[in-house]
Amino acid sequence: MALLELSGLTKRFGAFIALDDISLLIERGEVHCLLGENGAGKSTLCNLVFGVHRPDGGTMTLGGEPFDPRGPAEALQRGVVMVHQHFSLVPTMSVAENLMLGRASAVLKPQDIMVRMEQLAAEYGLEIDPEARIDELSVGERQRVEIIKCLLGDPQLLVLDEPTAVLQPDEIDALLAICRQVALRGKSVILVTHKLGEISRVADRTTVLRQGRIIETVAMDGADIRSLVRSMVGRDVQSAGSVLAAAVDVEGKTPAKPSDAAGPVSPGEAVLQISDLVYRDPHGVPRLDGLSLTVGTGEIVGIAGVEGNGQTELGLILAGLASPSAGAIVVGGTPVAGCTPQEITDAGVGIVPEDRHAVACIRELSVAENLFLGAIGKFSRFGLLDKSARRKAAEAMMRDFDVRASSPDVSMASLSGGNQQKAVLARELSLDPLVFLLAAQPTRGLDVGAIEAVYNRIRAARDDGLGVLLISSELEELMAVSDRIAVIYRGKLVGELAAGSFSREAIGAMMSGHAHV
Amino acid sequence: MIDEQMAVFIGSGLRLAVPIIFAATGEMLSERAGVLNLSLDGMMLMSAFTAALASWATGSPLIGVAAGVLVATAVAGAQAVLSVTLRANQLVVGIGFNILALGSTTFLYREIFGPLSRDPIPGFAQLNLPWLAHIPVIGSALANQTGLAYVSILMVVVTWLILKYTSFGLAVRAVGEDPRAADKAGISVARTRYLGVLYAGILAGLGGAFMSVADSNTFTENMTKGAGYLAITAVIFGGWNPWYTLAACLLFGFATALQFLVPALQLDVPVALLLLLPYLLALVAIAGFVGKSRQPSALTIPFERGG
Repeated sequence: MALLELSGLTKRFGAFIALDDISLLIERGEVHCLLGENGAGKSTLCNLVFGVHRPDGGTMTLGGEPFDPRGPAEALQRGVVMVHQHFSLVPTMSVAENLMLGRASAVLKPQDIMVRMEQLAAEYGLEIDPEARIDELSVGERQRVEIIKCLLGDPQLLVLDEPTAVLQPDEIDALLAICRQVALRGKSVILVTHKLGEISRVADRTTVLRQGRIIETVAMDGADIRSLVRSMVGRDVQSAGSVLAAAVDVEGKTPAKPSDAAGPVSPGEAVLQISDLVYRDPHGVPRLDGLSLTVGTGEIVGIAGVEGNGQTELGLILAGLASPSAGAIVVGGTPVAGCTPQEITDAGVGIVPEDRHAVACIRELSVAENLFLGAIGKFSRFGLLDKSARRKAAEAMMRDFDVRASSPDVSMASLSGGNQQKAVLARELSLDPLVFLLAAQPTRGLDVGAIEAVYNRIRAARDDGLGVLLISSELEELMAVSDRIAVIYRGKLVGELAAGSFSREAIGAMMSGHAHV
Repeated sequence: MIDEQMAVFIGSGLRLAVPIIFAATGEMLSERAGVLNLSLDGMMLMSAFTAALASWATGSPLIGVAAGVLVATAVAGAQAVLSVTLRANQLVVGIGFNILALGSTTFLYREIFGPLSRDPIPGFAQLNLPWLAHIPVIGSALANQTGLAYVSILMVVVTWLILKYTSFGLAVRAVGEDPRAADKAGISVARTRYLGVLYAGILAGLGGAFMSVADSNTFTENMTKGAGYLAITAVIFGGWNPWYTLAACLLFGFATALQFLVPALQLDVPVALLLLLPYLLALVAIAGFVGKSRQPSALTIPFERGG
């Protein structure tokens, strides 16, 4: 009998359907991998099993008994444990203290924990100094503590949500070995990943998720990695243009022609030159590891990659929100690495940041104020703000960029996501001088109409001779808009494709670190 | 002669430190759980008044202390509801309670005690422990204290033991550093923080009651004179460590006691200036130490469970 049975699980977040009718069996003693792109619903599925979220429909059974955890505490009681993407350890406390946290007994008994730690060390090779403080440990060691914490209570089911994303290769080997060990002892493991190499080494069976649905579940004996990639990225979808066309058609608008996906490429001189860019995060983990890239005038270069491979950091550094550890960035002859956002703007760089709400605009201020955030001086006379002049300029800009709002004086927060993004684009594309545009996840959370408008703006900017760097987690988007796609993996560019030779399979494989599938 | 003055100085320094020790020790635990009670001074003032009233009415200082602690704990409960459950701004809530405490105690004092304000309130006697009195110089200072003074030191020990050796103490530290992690480990963040704030309330209550029924045997308007704020400063000065916090409280106590010593030594320093000293010291301490000691990461940040 299967350990965990999911039948018809559905989860919605507002109007967004994160999981749609998921039915799945997890056998005892198996390592079951969940494979899928970002947003496919893998983490949501784990969170339902661990009781972080509750399903909107469907049922679960665990060991034959109904299973409906109302919170992590209940899941823990039933022997379900989870290692989260973000560690849940208290950084200022020792390993032993973290392991004792939440375990009943009025007076702490460190000796008991030490004994159990020694047992686990002997059983699984999970060794760690119990006295060490968490914030002194490496990421791999912290994860080991998480796993020890999970195994302390002798669980039935171990859920690991993208555990290898943060690990070095040798640490990944060790983790996969532990997964096999756990399964050997009759427990079950659910391992979420998007790395194909890991799946072929550790999984008994693999379930592929896409857009909240199960595409297929395959036993790994003799499974074909290529077909898994195809299931993951969706081969039935032929090109981004058609996705867009289909969606637009549903809403009764003119479909975008696939042919304008990639316009004629005649890149001129280099406008952005990045050489050997290195960035270490505050924990010392290298996020960018010697990245070099050139973007020419009149060219859109797309950066593809699974999230967490350094593209976010690249965007932050280009925007001046993080300082690189090493390397150079030159925009139109001006070195800008480590410069302030103001200096970068002055060098002619427009930025559409990844996090629209936190960075791109101030939601509480009006549209007009947001449109001229960096240019307040323009409407200042004798130190006083000329609001009517600003209002006029804002109205003109909103007309040009089709920002739909009842007036320039309404708050940014009252606009739809699409109109907010159009306003951000309007502001950035109206900068003077402007030679280069960074667009990081520019269509995230937007509806189809707005997406098309954003694409058209980016293409128009390219045609006007700007160099554009497009960072996106949407392959369709990159293939529809880019003249060139570079793939980032672990902080480095691992491959590059020119328009016309884009292949979903090839890009997907490079994104997963499998350069030669 | 000098010896005698030193003994008086040390004795009064200790006595003046006691309420701050109580309040700071409780506040330290609450802050380790992530809740800052700026209302500490209000809790003390309410307790001082209630203790005086109950002791005067019943003739028993013990009942006075119990009543004072009860009222301070009720204020702490209200502070907890606002800052933990309703996630209100902890600083604003605290200031509100302090204004309320000052206003209400002043009003009630005038209403109730107005004509009787000269009457002494039944209070605790000093214990005069003979085995302590034999210690040279500081012996009489240590021995001639009320029982509550010794309780304050005991509470420092108890608080230290709680934080270091109990699951509750571990939960407190976890909740103050990383409530999300604590929540995932199955700890109730809200419950832990409530208990932390109530603990601060009980100890602030003891400190306030000490002022009226153990130290001065009377109540005066605004008698805490910012002792609660000094206690909060002592927690920062002490780096959220019970023993260093105790040391900071003693420092404040002795700084206050200088106002008795300096005139006795016939030094020509204005007393008004000496009265300023503990507060000046607190400012200097905050300026010099805030950067260096690391406060609990989640201090004053309400917890909300996210996905």
